[in-house]
Amino acid sequence: MNQWLDERLHISRLNDKFLRKAFPVHHSFFLGEITLFSLIVLIITGILLALSYEPSNSLVTNSFDPGTSAKPNLIPAAYHSALKINAMPFGDMLRRLHHWMANIMIAAAVIHMMRIYFTGAFKKPREINWWIGMLLLIFAGLTAVTGYILPYDNYAYQTVGVVYAITKSVPWVGDWAAQAAFAGQFPGAGIIPRIYGYHIMLLPGILLALTGAHMLIMIKQKHTQPQYAKRLAYKKIVGVPLITQQTPIMLLLALLFTGIVMLFAAFIPVHPVEVFGPPSSTPIPNIKPDWYLLWVFGALAIIPGFDLELLGGSISAEFVGAMVFPGIVIGAMFAVPMLDRSKENLYYAENPTNHPVRLAAGTAFMGFMLALSLAGYKPDLIEAGVLTTANANAILWILVFVVPALTYFATIGIVRLIRALREADERDAAVHSGQLGHSAADD
Amino acid sequence: MTRYRKQDPELTRRKFINAAMGGAAAVGTLSLVSALGSAKPVFRLTPALAPPMAGDVLVHADPSRYGEPVKVSDLGLQLVRAWPQGKDKNGDPVIRDQDPTSVLAIFKYPAGQVQEPTDLNATIDGQIVAYGDRCMHAGCNVGNNDQQPGLMNCPCHSGQYDPKLGGKVIGGPPPAPLPQLPIKMDGDKIVATGFFLSRPYGYTKEEDWKAYTEQVKEVLG
Ligand code: FES
Repeated sequence: MNQWLDERLHISRLNDKFLRKAFPVHHSFFLGEITLFSLIVLIITGILLALSYEPSNSLVTNSFDPGTSAKPNLIPAAYHSALKINAMPFGDMLRRLHHWMANIMIAAAVIHMMRIYFTGAFKKPREINWWIGMLLLIFAGLTAVTGYILPYDNYAYQTVGVVYAITKSVPWVGDWAAQAAFAGQFPGAGIIPRIYGYHIMLLPGILLALTGAHMLIMIKQKHTQPQYAKRLAYKKIVGVPLITQQTPIMLLLALLFTGIVMLFAAFIPVHPVEVFGPPSSTPIPNIKPDWYLLWVFGALAIIPGFDLELLGGSISAEFVGAMVFPGIVIGAMFAVPMLDRSKENLYYAENPTNHPVRLAAGTAFMGFMLALSLAGYKPDLIEAGVLTTANANAILWILVFVVPALTYFATIGIVRLIRALREADERDAAVHSGQLGHSAADD
Repeated sequence: MTRYRKQDPELTRRKFINAAMGGAAAVGTLSLVSALGSAKPVFRLTPALAPPMAGDVLVHADPSRYGEPVKVSDLGLQLVRAWPQGKDKNGDPVIRDQDPTSVLAIFKYPAGQVQEPTDLNATIDGQIVAYGDRCMHAGCNVGNNDQQPGLMNCPCHSGQYDPKLGGKVIGGPPPAPLPQLPIKMDGDKIVATGFFLSRPYGYTKEEDWKAYTEQVKEVLG
């Protein structure tokens, strides 16, 4: 049978090209895989949810609490179907699983990107894959946000209101763009069908296409090799092949990981639609976006309001905080591979401590994001009495600059220390073992 | 020179492919633009989508008392959220709750507290004031300030307003005051006497709001 298949499908070529792909043996290389597994589970749970979800914001009678015939209890069909999903056996858990996976996918992707950044794996020839990775991150974020809107509870309603406002704040074209994107003025009669289309067709399609490209390029270019590979066999690919060694490891990891997330879903509730209730004009106190968007939210909270007329368009604080500023941050992340001018292809993952400036810039960036995320808690901090309305902005602004600066210099200091210790070790080793010692400078 | 130029068939083929790709891209972009054009639906003003206007009765927005007219005895330093209720073509009452910009916040203060720049003629006895309840920053609904009763706090980015001073911004990022709605008593009902006095959320310029109210008057008379 093998031969029969091979004659038709050229399995042996596939085997040589793809199935024997060598995977480096190091736990940090699993982060990308975890991201991929999350995507797969998201798609499966998403399909299951779509089977019971009703994408419409027209009002229907709440079958759980119909009210009276004179005064029926009307709620949007989408919200009603979310309640119905919750009432299905394991329905609530399915929703939570989908939700948890989305959060974990973004977290895993972020940590995966940190690995790439700190080990220099974005360098030539892998710049394209860094950029595709950035696009994946952006589209994953968009998919998550559209997913938030689908249950159409009050939280979703308030969120989509802000998203609409941000889109609308773009000078000149904002009004048109917001109406085109959200099916009319907020909240248009077709808003849920529109978002549904984005969330289950358009965005997942883009994500899958980008993921495919990401992995094909990765297979073509090979992983960066961990440092031990240099000592083992210089300039040779070292690792375990996809078939048969890596596959069981992957499967094991996927099952273990999914199992853990299922436990999360079973015991830790997320986004309780019943608590938020149907869309209403009652605000949700201290409403916040998910953690990965908290930095934008924080920026919006501390940028003072202003409005600037420019050639007939108006530039508002909202536009600057929610579009220009994140644009600059994301642009900087896009530009990372361009900071490296090396002509050589990179084979081996670099030791972060050998590149102190890059390492420190990376940690400072994380400090910056954390400080901004903290600013997202401004109302809570004021309420708790930690800050006052009068000083909140000033203190948070200072933190936004001081935290990254401190992180930067602390990192440089720690790296110096590590290198000094390492050099001392090397000298020791050289003294004690004479010619036996080998350089560990690049380990 | 021209005599030596090589007539390479490969090159013409490449040229052809490039031109074909360019053409396809152009056609694709064009059709995408036309598809995008259809993405924005037309806006049709219905009574339920209209902003609060003269003659509208203010009714409770809270689900538990939805649609009941707001009474003076309901009011105080905690805001009462309300929708304007107008009439449709047949004269039947219709609650204008389809545009979130129309939602209102009503307060009642002890005499003498409400001051300029509030338009005192648009209040009831200088005590009851009504404002549009969408934050001028990003359109969240503005709630009570729990620490200082009588002030308003926006939950989204901690914008703060003082309804006693014409909805003035006293903290946070909002770029403009909340729009005041002129009201009067009509029997035991609270009734709007006109449009918002300044632009509500969603209109970047006063002129846009003026133009919109003109349009509303024309369509709904
Ligand atoms: S929406 Fe009110 S402060 Fe941002």
